[in-house]
Amino acid sequence: MNIINLIIISIIGTGISSISVQLITVREFLSQFYGNEITISLVLFCWLMVSGLGSLASKFFKKKSFILYSILALITGLFPLIQISAIRLFRDIMFIHGESPGFYPLFFYILALSAPYTFLIGFMLPYSLAVIKTSGREFTAGELYITDNIGDITGGVLFSFILVYFLSPFKIIALTSSLLILISLALIIRLKRYLLFFGAFLSVALFFGLAFEKRFELSTLSNQYGPNIVSYRESPYGRIVLTREKGEYTLWESGTPIFSAFNITAAEEKVHYPLCQLERIEDVLLISGGMGETFDEILKYAPRSIDYVELDPTLIKVASQSGLLSPRGKVNIIPADGRKYITDSNKRYSAIILDLPEPDTFQINRFYTKEFFAHTKRILKKDGILSFSLIANPNYLSEVRIKKLSSIFNTVKRYFHNVLLIPGEEVYFLASNGKLTADIPQRLRKRAIATSYIDGFYYGNVTKERIKSINESINPNEFINTDFRPRVINIMFNEWFKKYGTSPNWFIATLIGVLVFYLFLIKKEEYVLFSTGFATMGVEMLILFSFQVIYGYIYLKVGAIISFFLLGLLPGAVLGNRWKKRGRAMLIRAEAGMLLLLMTYLIWVTFFPSMMPEIVFLLYGFTFSLLCGLQFPVAAEIIGDKESPAAGLFAADLVGAGAGTLAIGTLLIPLLGIQAAIIALILIKTASTFVILKG
Amino acid sequence: MKRSISRKEFLKEMGVLSLLIATEGHCFWPKNKAEEKADIRGHVFKNDAPKSLWKWSIEGFYYTTNGTDVQCMVCPNRCYLTPGDRSVCRSKVNIGGKLYSLAYGNPCAVHIDPIEKKPLSHFYPATEVFSIATTGCNFRCLNCQNWEISQRKPEEVQHSELFPADVVRIAKEKNIPSIAYTYSEPISYYEYMHDTARLARAEGIKNVLVSNGYINKRPLEDLTRYLDAANVNLKSFDDDIYRGLNGGRLQPVLNTFKLLHEKGIWFEMTTLVVPGYVDEPEMTKRMCGWILKELGPNYPLHFLRFFPRYKLNRLPATPVKTLELLRDVALKEGIHYSYIGNVPGHDGYNTYCHNCHKILIRRRGYNIAEFNINDGRCKFCKTRIPGRWEGL
Repeated sequence: MNIINLIIISIIGTGISSISVQLITVREFLSQFYGNEITISLVLFCWLMVSGLGSLASKFFKKKSFILYSILALITGLFPLIQISAIRLFRDIMFIHGESPGFYPLFFYILALSAPYTFLIGFMLPYSLAVIKTSGREFTAGELYITDNIGDITGGVLFSFILVYFLSPFKIIALTSSLLILISLALIIRLKRYLLFFGAFLSVALFFGLAFEKRFELSTLSNQYGPNIVSYRESPYGRIVLTREKGEYTLWESGTPIFSAFNITAAEEKVHYPLCQLERIEDVLLISGGMGETFDEILKYAPRSIDYVELDPTLIKVASQSGLLSPRGKVNIIPADGRKYITDSNKRYSAIILDLPEPDTFQINRFYTKEFFAHTKRILKKDGILSFSLIANPNYLSEVRIKKLSSIFNTVKRYFHNVLLIPGEEVYFLASNGKLTADIPQRLRKRAIATSYIDGFYYGNVTKERIKSINESINPNEFINTDFRPRVINIMFNEWFKKYGTSPNWFIATLIGVLVFYLFLIKKEEYVLFSTGFATMGVEMLILFSFQVIYGYIYLKVGAIISFFLLGLLPGAVLGNRWKKRGRAMLIRAEAGMLLLLMTYLIWVTFFPSMMPEIVFLLYGFTFSLLCGLQFPVAAEIIGDKESPAAGLFAADLVGAGAGTLAIGTLLIPLLGIQAAIIALILIKTASTFVILKG
Repeated sequence: MKRSISRKEFLKEMGVLSLLIATEGHCFWPKNKAEEKADIRGHVFKNDAPKSLWKWSIEGFYYTTNGTDVQCMVCPNRCYLTPGDRSVCRSKVNIGGKLYSLAYGNPCAVHIDPIEKKPLSHFYPATEVFSIATTGCNFRCLNCQNWEISQRKPEEVQHSELFPADVVRIAKEKNIPSIAYTYSEPISYYEYMHDTARLARAEGIKNVLVSNGYINKRPLEDLTRYLDAANVNLKSFDDDIYRGLNGGRLQPVLNTFKLLHEKGIWFEMTTLVVPGYVDEPEMTKRMCGWILKELGPNYPLHFLRFFPRYKLNRLPATPVKTLELLRDVALKEGIHYSYIGNVPGHDGYNTYCHNCHKILIRRRGYNIAEFNINDGRCKFCKTRIPGRWEGL
């Protein structure tokens, strides 16, 4: 095969590898740090921005060499293993073991650890085009765009629909980098650099040896989890790790310890506060948190059945195998999404107990919204009880925590006559149409139920004065929390920034400054691509968040959504390549299409924010990115290669995409809600339409 | 003279060179936790003082000044403040060349707790304690459970108004025998605590300090005139951990224990067993060795179970077996009373006579199910039990 064809295949190989590495990197950072949408958008932002810089750098790189390209391609194939290992190993060097860093350290860590690879990826694409052109072969920027997309799509589909279900990150890296690595080796042989080939071959052998060696992969996790890892599984929903120290288990989900043995206080509080309120208990629904002593405590009420809903079957399996989950005859374990289960269920329950993390992600927030509470009310029996808890300091309620409690209180109060807050280790919400009492020990004595924590500590910790104070602190005017206007997410992000004593304002101001400077430098058509990149990633974020709101399991579906976006780019680019001579008229049609799609989204969110089949979101993403893909070859044709080579166009697209990710994903959606984000996108696109119209 | 080298020679030399560079580079690479010198100690907040004083201000009790700059002498941070600066603990400011505390009469947390919650197991068990706190702390513990007040400025929180006389009046009205200065770090509101304690002593109300013990000798000596008991954290027995996890130093805390001992103040020590940091039996052995040598065997040592909190939320809870192991180490080393906390229902809450090992106090949480101490002595073997039991 001739060298040029090998290079073209290597572009596809780069696409397959890079998209998989991007998805693995997102998941890795989610597992290492704060697992919310801020982390996702920071990773994608850094990825796109640094890729953009890489593309720009290639514009100024004069030396065009096949051998240099081959070496860079090989490094691109091998480097992901180093990157993911480095993310794991450097964590405890850069941060204090066990600590969750704040916004700025997190941002710089993500940037530093992902920059070398992403810069290389950004550099490689335009550089490959430049190298191909030295041979005199006709290959346009549009064709390069299409070739790259073929690789991206293949990688995205492979990862999201096959590999994520079966393999660990290192093995996925090895498989998805194989094509690129093989082609690089072939290129080196074709260029007759045999000594280099020998070195390259050794590196490749080491790479595959390490990637498929389980002990090596486990060793990279021991910094975070300690040396006593009993079980390590990558589930589509997250990383499940079980550790055992002094004979006691800790179960971790994506880096967060979700269960430690002998947490009597939590088990008693979550079960007895609600259940002791009822005279008769038949069926109990428990959403998450069924490990350890929980079932024992529920069984003290001799219910007819306990339905335990847990999202991740891998988590259930690991917990069951280690004895952390010991189902009895009355317990039905249901592997399902809790919200979906409650929405679809027709069974009526005496009590629903939610044991979920704080609503600081869209996934969890949807268990604290108006829409969700309406569903819980529907499946509760008359005078049945709903219970959940939120973190709050029992000694002092800060302003931001009062807002959080008030918003959720007002939301749940819409559906239940009585809502009582009990300030235990966490603040427990009890909601029912029946009577509620805060004298839990008295109720337990009446039922002759023995407890360790409540019996001995309740009156000392949950004093009448504390109960009164917390219930009186609720502000009845605080906004209610809904799926698409997630007031609580906004509050939680404020709380997060307060915890670290930082504000994102400096970051935002710097970025805006740099962006404005960049926009002054670029050409009009580049601005169109910038705005298209911005809108595409912005819409991708919108879909991710909407999907999260409705379905919840973003960890699993992030790959599918990204794949559909990539899938749209290819036919778009092919069509654009065909119609590129039509010039500005074509660009305007694409602009109009995007504006129409955004308006549709706005109307749906505002007036009909209901369940939508998964495929609708995916098709929406596909269509939007098709229009984006269409614009690239057209804009490239208008500008011409001499005015701005491919590097400038790629850079504009990538920088726009990075800015869109951050603006929509990190700022607008969390702070102002989904509608505000759509309106911002409409404005950006309207501006670019004007730019084209003005010519 | 020009000399060409073969490819083989070149590769060999490059190999040797790489090894050398790697060896050199290794010197700069942190090898393990012990070698890391992470230091999260706080810093002075430059130009962060309010323009003028507010109602809840008082001139600092312990500071030096050159007429313009001031240096707070309450704690070992010894914050040097130029005009307009704010101290590490966030409570003290330099306004007009004088040091002022902004935390005086403005508690943000006011509760009535059982004395066992502090925890104090040998100080009038099953009594209530009126507990107050303003904002501020001279440490930066990553696992602080009260960070919303300890890591905040007095102006940033909602507070009530209770000047020292009000605190004492309420405690008296409610018939509460003790007042605890607790939750955040009372050393950061030293003046408020000092004045309240002085008035409380005059009214026969006891004073309890719940603290990290990071205080200088003179202010502590002054405070001990009114102090009846203390629970002081001994967060670890390693200065590196103190700096890396808590933002303080070990030695001043040890000095506090020695001074409290000298002054005859009843105190108990608390160690939060943070997995991976404070769970080494060897460290506990060294710690107990120091306690026995400097303080004797009578002061109780509490080992508390850690749960992920605040910024340190990516660590597991302490295994109960680790707590049991450390308690056993302490008892074996010769500490007479060692307790386990944050594990409801555990036997480690009970008090056993250090002489006959029979049960003295069987606790069910904060309640007492069995009490076998008469006039401060074991009911069985008549051994004097260290602590404060008068009237019980």
